[in-house]
This record gives sequence, C-alpha cells and structure tokens, in this order.
Amino acid sequence: MDQTVLASVSEIFARRVEPARGLAEQAEKVARACHAMATRFHGGGRLIVFGNGEAATDAQHISVEFVHPVIVGKRALPSFSLTGDVATITGIGAAAGFDEVFAHQLRHLAAPGDMALGVSPFGRCVNVLRALETAKELGLLTLALVGGDGGEIARSPSVDHVLIAPSDDPRVVKEVHVTAYHILWELVHVFFEQPGVLDPQVVA
Amino acid sequence: MSEPMESLYPFLYSGGTDLDAVLTMVRQSTAGKAAEIVALRQSVLERDGARMAACAQAMAAAFDRGARLFAFGNGGSSTDAQDVAALFLNPGPLGSGEPARPLPAFALTADVAVVTALSNDIGFEVVFSRQLAASGRAGDIAFGLSTSGNSRNLIAGFQEADRRGMITVGLAGYDGGQMAELGTIDHLFVVPSTSVHRIQEAQTTVYHALWELTQGALGRRGAVPPPRSS
Repeated sequence: MDQTVLASVSEIFARRVEPARGLAEQAEKVARACHAMATRFHGGGRLIVFGNGEAATDAQHISVEFVHPVIVGKRALPSFSLTGDVATITGIGAAAGFDEVFAHQLRHLAAPGDMALGVSPFGRCVNVLRALETAKELGLLTLALVGGDGGEIARSPSVDHVLIAPSDDPRVVKEVHVTAYHILWELVHVFFEQPGVLDPQVVA
Repeated sequence: MSEPMESLYPFLYSGGTDLDAVLTMVRQSTAGKAAEIVALRQSVLERDGARMAACAQAMAAAFDRGARLFAFGNGGSSTDAQDVAALFLNPGPLGSGEPARPLPAFALTADVAVVTALSNDIGFEVVFSRQLAASGRAGDIAFGLSTSGNSRNLIAGFQEADRRGMITVGLAGYDGGQMAELGTIDHLFVVPSTSVHRIQEAQTTVYHALWELTQGALGRRGAVPPPRSS
C-alpha cells in the first residue's frame, strides 16, 4: 500500500477528533435542549425533523430513533420527518418552490406543542430556516443542528436551541450531528427518569 | 446550583428533584460519549486503515469500469444507506475545494413501492436480494450496513451479490455477526463496539472515509471523464 494513501487515511480520521471533542464543550447547551424536549414530549408534543440531502437522512434517522428506540425498554416517543414522502416534497416543490417544502408541511401538520428540529450542515439552508421561522410563529419549540460558523440559522431569533458542529468539512459536521442526536435521544430519557422534573401541572 | 439555571427552570425545584445532580449527569454523559467515539474511531483506524484504502482502490477501479453502487440497510442503517447513495451520486466539493466526481449509486430502501411489493408478496428478507438480482451486474458494488451483522435481508443481499460477481462491501458492529460468518464479503469492516449508537457513529466515519479515499483514488487514476450525455 502506497504510504501517501495510508497517510491520507490517518489524516481523514485525525480531522474528526477535535470536532467530536467539541461537542463535550457544548454539554450545557445539550442539557438545556434535552430538558426542553423532554418537557414537550411530556406534554404530548411530537418531534418533527427536516433537512436536505444527506441531512434528510439524518432527519429520518432521528425520527426512527425516537419512534423505535434501539435500547430495549425505552418508551416510543412520537416523531416524524418531513423528508420521507416524495410525492409531498415534489408536489410542494413544483407548486410553491423548494424553499417551502418544510414550512408548508409544518403549517398543516404541526400543533403548537410540537417541536421542530432542523438539520443544516452550515446553517444556510433556506427551506430549513423558513421552516424554523414558521414553527416559531406557530408556537413550536425550535431546535437546530448546524456546523461551520452556524450560518443564518444559528443567528436566527426564531431558533430556541442550536448546537454547532465545529468543522468546515460537511462530512465531519454530519458525524458530530449523529453523535449529538444520539445523545439528545438518550438524555431526553434521562429526564423522563427523574421524578418531579416534568411536572405535568407546571408543563400545562 | 448556578443561579441562571435555577431561574431558567424554577419549577424543577417544586418537585424536590435534584436538578443539579441531573444536569451534572447530563454534562458528564455528553463528555463521556464524545470521548468514547474518539477512542472507537482510533481503534477502527488502527484495525482497518490499510484495508479501507484497499477497498477504496477497488471501488475506484470498479467505477472506472462502469460499476454502479447499491447501498442497503434497515432502520437507522437504511438512512446511512441513503446517505451513502446521496454522497456518491451528488457530492459537494472535496475538502480541498476541488469538485468531487459524481458516481452512480442507488439506495435499495428509497423506493417504497418496490420495498412494500417485495415484502408483501414474498417477505421482508428478500427486499435487497431481489433488487440486486434484478439490477446488479458483475463488477457492480453491493454496499450493506448493519450494526448487528445479523439482518437476514442483508445476509440474503450479500449472498445474491456474491452469486452475481459483485464487489461486496459490508459495515457491521459487535463481532461482525453473520456477515463475518459468511466469509464471502470482499471488504468487511467491523466496528468493535457493543453500543449501537457508537457503532453507527463510527460507521458514518468509515463510509465517509471510503468515499473520500475513492475520490482520491479516482483522481490518481486519471482525468475526470465528461458527464454522460442523456
């Protein structure tokens, strides 16, 4: 094997280390986001997830994570993605434009007690931002997974909770997001296991 | 407990819950999981770095001969399969800013009509093998992802791919399960962990690395061919 190829394998892996550790530095933000999500789930809210391209696969991964947990004994929580129905996406895209594909679905599928989670590698996806703005107007809790400098989405007043993967490589950003949403799922359940944390009378 | 958090969630104190302890646990858990995945990726690199480079060279040679890639998996791994297909077919630029070469790739989970027809008429264990039997050619690439390595439809898919003379690439976790026992997968990468979550996170790195290394190998093999005319 060519030594330069082997060196490039090592470099590819080395590029992941600091961004992965960077997530630990956002532990406080993770904790706040998880608590807010657990509160919404406790009140009957659903988690609605969306993103483009590779992030569309994250949206579907996140919803299946909550609906059908890989860890036996954890309760199923209501979640769906806005990326799974090709008829809907192409229909809205053709009629109203691609910037509307997620916002339109939210306007007609979401309830005020739900949560909207947008995934955008560099925080610049117009349809994700528009969906988060729409969600905020509707009263949903809004969350975003972004990367790079966070883009317009990280700076938007419509987004309640933002986690930024500190990398300029979209593949590395995605990997940090995968770890982030696995942790979000697990820690939402941690809050469920704490008696008194999610008092329904307070939530209501 | 710090004042800002108490003012943010004042009701947490009404139930007598020790929020400070919960938040401390949450912070420690986040840091611990970040450390786990960093260590797991390092062990994957040490075990399989050279084999990943060899796999990428084989895939690059196959693509140069006109191969198509078929990706498949269940559940969370189906989203990885679709991610693999999207990345190969419609990549953004490389880290260097150079354009990456779009490569023909399909996800076998994307067409709900096909998946439900095969499942309803025959059974879920054939959803990948039947598609590979219909569309796979010798020299094409079958790329299957599983955390357990035991999914019956993946095993059937790899067996069909092997019968057809396809190049087989498998990503598994734990000890590789039945995917390892098959003994026929040309390039099998087992992430040595028992956590489904950490396995998936490391597998994402493995296929990202395989893609980047494939692009690098294609670059060394020669100029990017012009797009095919329609």
